[in-house]
Amino acid sequence: MNDLLIAGGIGVAFGWALERAGLGDPPKLAGQFYLRDFTVLKVMLSAMLTAMLGVFWGGRLGMLDPGALYVPETYLLPQLVGGLVFGLGFVLSGLCPGTSCVALASGRIEGAATMLGLFAGVLLVGVAFPAIEPFYRSTPHGALTLQRLTGLPYGVVVALVTVVAVSMLAWIAKREAAR
Amino acid sequence: MRLVRGLGIGALALGLVAPFAGSPSRTQQRGLDLDSIARAIDAGSDHVSARQLAEWIRDRRPGLRVIDVRSPAEFHDDAIPTAENLPIDQLVRSHFAPDQTIVLYSQEGAHAGQAWVMLRSLGVTQAVFVPGGLADWREEVLSPLLPVNGSPAERARIAELSHYFGGSPRIGGAQEGEVVGAAQTGPGSRRRGC
Repeated sequence: MNDLLIAGGIGVAFGWALERAGLGDPPKLAGQFYLRDFTVLKVMLSAMLTAMLGVFWGGRLGMLDPGALYVPETYLLPQLVGGLVFGLGFVLSGLCPGTSCVALASGRIEGAATMLGLFAGVLLVGVAFPAIEPFYRSTPHGALTLQRLTGLPYGVVVALVTVVAVSMLAWIAKREAAR
Repeated sequence: MRLVRGLGIGALALGLVAPFAGSPSRTQQRGLDLDSIARAIDAGSDHVSARQLAEWIRDRRPGLRVIDVRSPAEFHDDAIPTAENLPIDQLVRSHFAPDQTIVLYSQEGAHAGQAWVMLRSLGVTQAVFVPGGLADWREEVLSPLLPVNGSPAERARIAELSHYFGGSPRIGGAQEGEVVGAAQTGPGSRRRGC
Protein backbone atom coordinates (compact mmCIF):
# COMPACT_ATOMS: atom_id res chain seq x y z
CA MET A 1 0.00 0.00 0.00
CA ASN A 2 2.82 2.31 0.95
CA ASP A 3 4.54 1.54 -2.36
CA LEU A 4 1.37 2.46 -4.23
CA LEU A 5 1.15 5.79 -2.40
CA ILE A 6 4.79 6.58 -3.19
CA ALA A 7 4.27 5.56 -6.84
CA GLY A 8 1.16 7.75 -7.00
CA GLY A 9 3.08 10.70 -5.56
CA ILE A 10 5.96 10.26 -8.01
CA GLY A 11 3.47 9.93 -10.89
CA VAL A 12 1.71 13.17 -9.96
CA ALA A 13 5.06 14.98 -9.65
CA PHE A 14 6.18 13.57 -13.01
CA GLY A 15 2.96 14.67 -14.73
CA TRP A 16 3.17 18.09 -13.13
CA ALA A 17 6.78 18.55 -14.29
CA LEU A 18 5.86 17.47 -17.85
CA GLU A 19 2.95 19.89 -17.95
CA ARG A 20 5.06 22.73 -16.52
CA ALA A 21 7.69 22.05 -19.20
CA GLY A 22 4.96 22.40 -21.82
CA LEU A 23 5.10 18.78 -22.95
CA GLY A 24 1.30 18.42 -22.96
CA ASP A 25 1.27 20.52 -26.12
CA PRO A 26 1.43 18.44 -29.34
CA PRO A 27 2.78 21.21 -31.66
CA LYS A 28 5.63 21.76 -29.20
CA LEU A 29 6.51 18.06 -29.22
CA ALA A 30 6.18 17.71 -33.00
CA GLY A 31 8.34 20.87 -33.31
CA GLN A 32 11.30 18.86 -31.97
CA PHE A 33 11.18 16.54 -34.98
CA TYR A 34 11.37 19.52 -37.35
CA LEU A 35 14.09 21.18 -35.18
CA ARG A 36 11.81 24.17 -34.60
CA ASP A 37 11.42 23.73 -30.86
CA PHE A 38 14.01 22.18 -28.58
CA THR A 39 11.86 21.87 -25.45
CA VAL A 40 11.75 18.05 -25.62
CA LEU A 41 15.52 17.78 -25.91
CA LYS A 42 16.02 20.25 -23.05
CA VAL A 43 13.63 18.37 -20.77
CA MET A 44 15.17 15.00 -21.69
CA LEU A 45 18.78 16.11 -21.27
CA SER A 46 18.19 17.87 -17.96
CA ALA A 47 16.16 14.91 -16.62
CA MET A 48 18.89 12.45 -17.66
CA LEU A 49 21.57 14.62 -16.08
CA THR A 50 19.62 14.97 -12.84
CA ALA A 51 18.87 11.23 -12.63
CA MET A 52 22.39 10.15 -13.59
CA LEU A 53 24.15 12.51 -11.17
CA GLY A 54 21.55 11.72 -8.50
CA VAL A 55 22.09 7.95 -8.79
CA PHE A 56 25.88 8.25 -8.97
CA TRP A 57 26.32 10.64 -6.05
CA GLY A 58 23.45 9.15 -4.06
CA GLY A 59 25.22 5.80 -4.34
CA ARG A 60 28.60 7.32 -3.53
CA LEU A 61 27.21 8.94 -0.38
CA GLY A 62 25.50 5.69 0.63
CA MET A 63 21.95 7.00 0.21
CA LEU A 64 20.95 4.35 -2.33
CA ASP A 65 22.35 1.22 -3.95
CA PRO A 66 22.70 1.64 -7.74
CA GLY A 67 23.07 -2.16 -8.02
CA ALA A 68 19.48 -2.53 -6.81
CA LEU A 69 18.12 -0.52 -9.75
CA TYR A 70 16.58 -2.64 -12.46
CA VAL A 71 18.23 -2.19 -15.86
CA PRO A 72 15.95 -3.40 -18.69
CA GLU A 73 17.56 -5.87 -21.06
CA THR A 74 18.58 -4.91 -24.58
CA TYR A 75 17.20 -6.80 -27.59
CA LEU A 76 18.82 -4.78 -30.35
CA LEU A 77 16.80 -5.48 -33.50
CA PRO A 78 13.28 -5.64 -32.04
CA GLN A 79 13.95 -2.52 -29.97
CA LEU A 80 15.22 -0.65 -33.06
CA VAL A 81 12.02 -1.55 -34.91
CA GLY A 82 9.95 -0.69 -31.83
CA GLY A 83 11.73 2.66 -31.57
CA LEU A 84 10.92 3.49 -35.18
CA VAL A 85 7.23 2.56 -34.73
CA PHE A 86 7.17 4.58 -31.50
CA GLY A 87 8.79 7.59 -33.22
CA LEU A 88 6.31 7.43 -36.07
CA GLY A 89 3.40 7.49 -33.62
CA PHE A 90 5.12 10.25 -31.67
CA VAL A 91 5.48 12.61 -34.64
CA LEU A 92 2.02 11.75 -36.01
CA SER A 93 0.17 12.49 -32.77
CA GLY A 94 2.62 14.95 -31.24
CA LEU A 95 2.43 13.00 -27.98
CA CYS A 96 4.12 10.05 -26.33
CA PRO A 97 2.42 7.72 -23.79
CA GLY A 98 3.33 9.82 -20.75
CA THR A 99 2.55 13.18 -22.31
CA SER A 100 -0.78 11.89 -23.71
CA CYS A 101 -1.96 11.39 -20.10
CA VAL A 102 -0.68 14.88 -19.26
CA ALA A 103 -2.43 16.36 -22.32
CA LEU A 104 -5.71 14.69 -21.35
CA ALA A 105 -5.36 15.85 -17.74
CA SER A 106 -4.94 19.44 -18.91
CA GLY A 107 -8.06 19.09 -21.07
CA ARG A 108 -6.68 18.44 -24.55
CA ILE A 109 -8.80 15.99 -26.53
CA GLU A 110 -5.74 14.88 -28.57
CA GLY A 111 -4.52 13.27 -25.36
CA ALA A 112 -7.57 10.97 -25.27
CA ALA A 113 -7.10 10.03 -28.94
CA THR A 114 -3.44 9.14 -28.36
CA MET A 115 -4.28 7.13 -25.26
CA LEU A 116 -6.90 5.20 -27.22
CA GLY A 117 -4.24 4.40 -29.81
CA LEU A 118 -1.84 3.45 -27.03
CA PHE A 119 -4.25 0.94 -25.49
CA ALA A 120 -5.26 -0.43 -28.91
CA GLY A 121 -1.57 -0.97 -29.67
CA VAL A 122 -0.94 -2.67 -26.32
CA LEU A 123 -3.91 -4.96 -26.93
CA LEU A 124 -2.80 -5.75 -30.47
CA VAL A 125 0.73 -6.64 -29.36
CA GLY A 126 -0.67 -8.73 -26.52
CA VAL A 127 -2.91 -10.70 -28.86
CA ALA A 128 -0.18 -11.13 -31.47
CA PHE A 129 2.54 -11.87 -28.91
CA PRO A 130 2.77 -15.65 -29.50
CA ALA A 131 3.43 -14.95 -33.17
CA ILE A 132 6.02 -12.19 -32.62
CA GLU A 133 7.72 -13.63 -29.51
CA PRO A 134 10.70 -15.17 -31.40
CA PHE A 135 11.43 -11.74 -32.91
CA TYR A 136 10.77 -10.00 -29.57
CA ARG A 137 13.50 -12.11 -27.96
CA SER A 138 16.00 -12.01 -30.83
CA THR A 139 19.48 -10.34 -30.73
CA PRO A 140 19.67 -10.31 -26.90
CA HIS A 141 22.51 -8.35 -25.29
CA GLY A 142 21.57 -8.61 -21.61
CA ALA A 143 21.42 -5.53 -19.42
CA LEU A 144 23.57 -3.31 -21.59
CA THR A 145 24.90 -0.08 -20.07
CA LEU A 146 27.36 2.48 -21.44
CA GLN A 147 30.05 1.32 -19.01
CA ARG A 148 29.63 -2.32 -20.06
CA LEU A 149 29.65 -1.34 -23.75
CA THR A 150 32.75 0.89 -23.54
CA GLY A 151 34.55 -0.84 -20.67
CA LEU A 152 35.14 2.56 -19.05
CA PRO A 153 34.72 3.09 -15.29
CA TYR A 154 31.30 4.32 -14.17
CA GLY A 155 32.63 7.75 -13.08
CA VAL A 156 34.28 8.39 -16.46
CA VAL A 157 31.04 7.57 -18.29
CA VAL A 158 29.20 9.99 -15.97
CA ALA A 159 31.72 12.74 -16.76
CA LEU A 160 31.54 12.16 -20.53
CA VAL A 161 27.73 12.15 -20.60
CA THR A 162 27.68 15.29 -18.44
CA VAL A 163 30.04 17.14 -20.79
CA VAL A 164 27.99 16.13 -23.87
CA ALA A 165 24.65 17.00 -22.25
CA VAL A 166 25.76 20.34 -20.80
CA SER A 167 27.39 21.33 -24.12
CA MET A 168 24.17 20.55 -25.97
CA LEU A 169 22.09 22.48 -23.43
CA ALA A 170 24.46 25.46 -23.70
CA TRP A 171 24.26 25.32 -27.51
CA ILE A 172 20.46 25.28 -27.39
CA ALA A 173 20.40 28.21 -24.94
CA LYS A 174 22.73 30.21 -27.22
CA ARG A 175 20.57 29.43 -30.25
CA GLU A 176 17.41 30.48 -28.45
CA ALA A 177 19.02 33.70 -27.18
CA ALA A 178 20.10 34.59 -30.73
CA ARG A 179 16.50 34.57 -31.97
CA MET B 1 18.99 32.78 -16.79
CA ARG B 2 21.44 33.08 -13.94
CA LEU B 3 19.76 30.12 -12.19
CA VAL B 4 19.95 28.01 -15.34
CA ARG B 5 23.62 28.83 -15.76
CA GLY B 6 24.25 28.00 -12.10
CA LEU B 7 22.52 24.64 -12.49
CA GLY B 8 24.53 23.90 -15.62
CA ILE B 9 27.83 24.74 -13.93
CA GLY B 10 26.78 22.67 -10.89
CA ALA B 11 25.97 19.65 -13.07
CA LEU B 12 29.24 20.01 -14.95
CA ALA B 13 31.20 20.16 -11.69
CA LEU B 14 29.45 17.10 -10.26
CA GLY B 15 29.99 15.21 -13.50
CA LEU B 16 33.66 16.09 -13.85
CA VAL B 17 34.45 15.08 -10.26
CA ALA B 18 32.70 11.72 -10.75
CA PRO B 19 35.71 9.86 -12.26
CA PHE B 20 37.71 10.59 -9.12
CA ALA B 21 34.96 9.65 -6.68
CA GLY B 22 35.38 5.89 -6.91
CA SER B 23 32.65 3.33 -7.39
CA PRO B 24 29.21 4.17 -6.06
CA SER B 25 27.91 0.62 -6.17
CA ARG B 26 27.92 -1.54 -3.07
CA THR B 27 27.07 -4.73 -4.94
CA GLN B 28 29.44 -4.15 -7.83
CA GLN B 29 32.35 -6.01 -6.34
CA ARG B 30 31.67 -9.53 -7.43
CA GLY B 31 32.84 -11.94 -4.84
CA LEU B 32 31.48 -13.93 -1.97
CA ASP B 33 30.25 -11.86 0.93
CA LEU B 34 31.01 -14.69 3.33
CA ASP B 35 29.65 -12.95 6.43
CA SER B 36 26.24 -12.31 4.96
CA ILE B 37 26.09 -15.86 3.57
CA ALA B 38 26.95 -17.31 6.98
CA ARG B 39 24.31 -15.13 8.62
CA ALA B 40 21.65 -16.18 6.07
CA ILE B 41 22.46 -19.88 6.61
CA ASP B 42 22.44 -19.51 10.39
CA ALA B 43 19.16 -17.64 10.38
CA GLY B 44 17.61 -20.08 7.90
CA SER B 45 16.70 -17.26 5.52
CA ASP B 46 18.53 -19.14 2.74
CA HIS B 47 15.85 -21.78 2.23
CA VAL B 48 12.15 -22.40 2.22
CA SER B 49 10.29 -25.65 2.78
CA ALA B 50 8.39 -27.32 -0.04
CA ARG B 51 5.17 -26.80 1.88
CA GLN B 52 5.84 -23.09 2.35
CA LEU B 53 6.58 -22.79 -1.37
CA ALA B 54 3.29 -24.54 -2.12
CA GLU B 55 1.45 -21.97 -0.01
CA TRP B 56 3.22 -19.14 -1.82
CA ILE B 57 2.24 -20.56 -5.22
CA ARG B 58 -1.34 -21.14 -4.11
CA ASP B 59 -1.61 -17.61 -2.64
CA ARG B 60 -0.04 -16.13 -5.81
CA ARG B 61 2.63 -14.31 -3.82
CA PRO B 62 3.58 -11.16 -5.78
CA GLY B 63 6.98 -11.29 -7.48
CA LEU B 64 7.40 -15.05 -6.91
CA ARG B 65 9.67 -16.76 -9.46
CA VAL B 66 10.10 -20.50 -9.10
CA ILE B 67 13.20 -21.69 -10.95
CA ASP B 68 14.04 -25.30 -11.81
CA VAL B 69 17.84 -25.58 -12.20
CA ARG B 70 17.76 -29.14 -13.62
CA SER B 71 18.20 -30.04 -17.29
CA PRO B 72 15.34 -29.31 -19.75
CA ALA B 73 14.72 -33.06 -20.14
CA GLU B 74 14.20 -33.54 -16.39
CA PHE B 75 12.10 -30.38 -16.30
CA HIS B 76 9.75 -31.66 -19.01
CA ASP B 77 9.44 -34.95 -17.23
CA ASP B 78 8.10 -33.48 -13.99
CA ALA B 79 8.26 -30.04 -12.40
CA ILE B 80 6.66 -27.88 -9.74
CA PRO B 81 3.69 -25.97 -11.18
CA THR B 82 4.46 -22.35 -12.29
CA ALA B 83 8.22 -23.14 -12.39
CA GLU B 84 10.45 -21.99 -15.23
CA ASN B 85 13.49 -23.95 -16.37
CA LEU B 86 16.85 -22.18 -16.03
CA PRO B 87 19.74 -24.70 -15.95
CA ILE B 88 22.67 -23.50 -13.84
CA ASP B 89 24.75 -22.21 -16.76
CA GLN B 90 21.85 -20.04 -17.92
CA LEU B 91 20.94 -19.01 -14.39
CA VAL B 92 24.17 -17.05 -13.84
CA ARG B 93 23.62 -15.13 -17.07
CA SER B 94 20.08 -14.11 -16.12
CA HIS B 95 18.94 -10.89 -14.52
CA PHE B 96 16.60 -10.65 -11.60
CA ALA B 97 14.56 -7.65 -10.54
CA PRO B 98 15.16 -6.67 -6.91
CA ASP B 99 11.49 -7.07 -5.99
CA GLN B 100 11.30 -10.69 -7.12
CA THR B 101 11.44 -13.62 -4.72
CA ILE B 102 13.46 -16.30 -6.45
CA VAL B 103 12.93 -19.89 -5.30
CA LEU B 104 15.47 -22.40 -6.63
CA TYR B 105 14.95 -26.13 -6.64
CA SER B 106 16.59 -29.21 -8.12
CA GLN B 107 15.97 -32.93 -7.88
CA GLU B 108 17.08 -33.31 -4.27
CA GLY B 109 18.34 -29.89 -3.26
CA ALA B 110 22.14 -29.98 -3.61
CA HIS B 111 22.28 -28.28 -7.00
CA ALA B 112 19.75 -25.67 -5.91
CA GLY B 113 21.90 -24.91 -2.86
CA GLN B 114 24.96 -24.51 -5.08
CA ALA B 115 22.97 -22.29 -7.43
CA TRP B 116 21.96 -20.20 -4.40
CA VAL B 117 25.63 -19.57 -3.54
CA MET B 118 26.37 -18.68 -7.16
CA LEU B 119 23.55 -16.13 -7.20
CA ARG B 120 24.78 -14.69 -3.90
CA SER B 121 28.22 -14.18 -5.44
CA LEU B 122 26.52 -12.23 -8.23
CA GLY B 123 24.85 -9.97 -5.68
CA VAL B 124 21.40 -11.58 -5.91
CA THR B 125 20.23 -11.63 -2.29
CA GLN B 126 16.51 -12.24 -2.79
CA ALA B 127 16.88 -15.94 -3.62
CA VAL B 128 16.04 -19.00 -1.50
CA PHE B 129 16.16 -22.71 -2.28
CA VAL B 130 14.10 -25.77 -1.41
CA PRO B 131 16.44 -28.04 0.60
CA GLY B 132 14.75 -31.32 -0.37
CA GLY B 133 14.02 -30.29 -3.93
CA LEU B 134 11.42 -32.00 -6.05
CA ALA B 135 11.61 -35.08 -3.82
CA ASP B 136 10.45 -32.98 -0.88
CA TRP B 137 7.70 -31.48 -3.00
CA ARG B 138 6.36 -34.95 -3.73
CA GLU B 139 6.70 -36.05 -0.13
CA GLU B 140 5.47 -32.96 1.69
CA VAL B 141 2.99 -31.47 -0.74
CA LEU B 142 1.71 -34.12 -3.12
CA SER B 143 1.50 -37.05 -0.73
CA PRO B 144 2.10 -35.66 2.76
CA LEU B 145 1.81 -37.75 5.87
CA LEU B 146 -1.07 -36.41 7.97
CA PRO B 147 0.17 -36.19 11.58
CA VAL B 148 -2.03 -38.40 13.71
CA ASN B 149 -1.45 -36.29 16.80
CA GLY B 150 -1.92 -33.02 14.94
CA SER B 151 -5.01 -30.89 15.37
CA PRO B 152 -7.87 -31.44 12.90
CA ALA B 153 -7.35 -27.91 11.57
CA GLU B 154 -3.68 -28.62 10.81
CA ARG B 155 -4.53 -31.93 9.13
CA ALA B 156 -7.21 -30.22 7.04
CA ARG B 157 -4.75 -27.49 6.05
CA ILE B 158 -2.16 -30.01 4.87
CA ALA B 159 -4.77 -32.10 3.05
CA GLU B 160 -6.27 -29.06 1.37
CA LEU B 161 -2.87 -27.89 0.13
CA SER B 162 -2.17 -31.36 -1.22
CA HIS B 163 -5.52 -31.50 -3.04
CA TYR B 164 -4.91 -28.05 -4.50
CA PHE B 165 -1.89 -29.43 -6.37
CA GLY B 166 -3.67 -32.66 -7.31
CA GLY B 167 -2.03 -34.82 -4.66
CA SER B 168 -3.48 -37.06 -1.99
CA PRO B 169 -2.33 -37.17 1.62
CA ARG B 170 -1.35 -40.38 3.37
CA ILE B 171 -2.76 -41.25 6.76
CA GLY B 172 -0.13 -41.62 9.44
CA GLY B 173 0.26 -44.61 11.81
CA ALA B 174 -0.88 -44.71 15.43
CA GLN B 175 2.20 -43.01 16.81
CA GLU B 176 3.38 -39.94 15.00
CA GLY B 177 6.92 -40.14 16.31
CA GLU B 178 7.37 -43.66 14.99
CA VAL B 179 5.96 -42.89 11.59
CA VAL B 180 8.03 -39.77 11.15
CA GLY B 181 11.10 -41.65 12.32
CA ALA B 182 10.41 -44.42 9.85
CA ALA B 183 9.92 -41.94 7.03
CA GLN B 184 13.26 -40.32 7.77
CA THR B 185 15.22 -43.54 7.67
CA GLY B 186 13.84 -44.04 4.18
CA PRO B 187 13.98 -41.28 1.62
CA GLY B 188 14.20 -38.64 4.35
CA SER B 189 17.87 -39.33 5.04
CA ARG B 190 18.86 -37.99 1.61
CA ARG B 191 18.51 -34.51 3.00
CA ARG B 192 21.70 -34.62 5.02
CA GLY B 193 23.94 -33.46 2.21
CA CYS B 194 22.58 -29.94 1.94
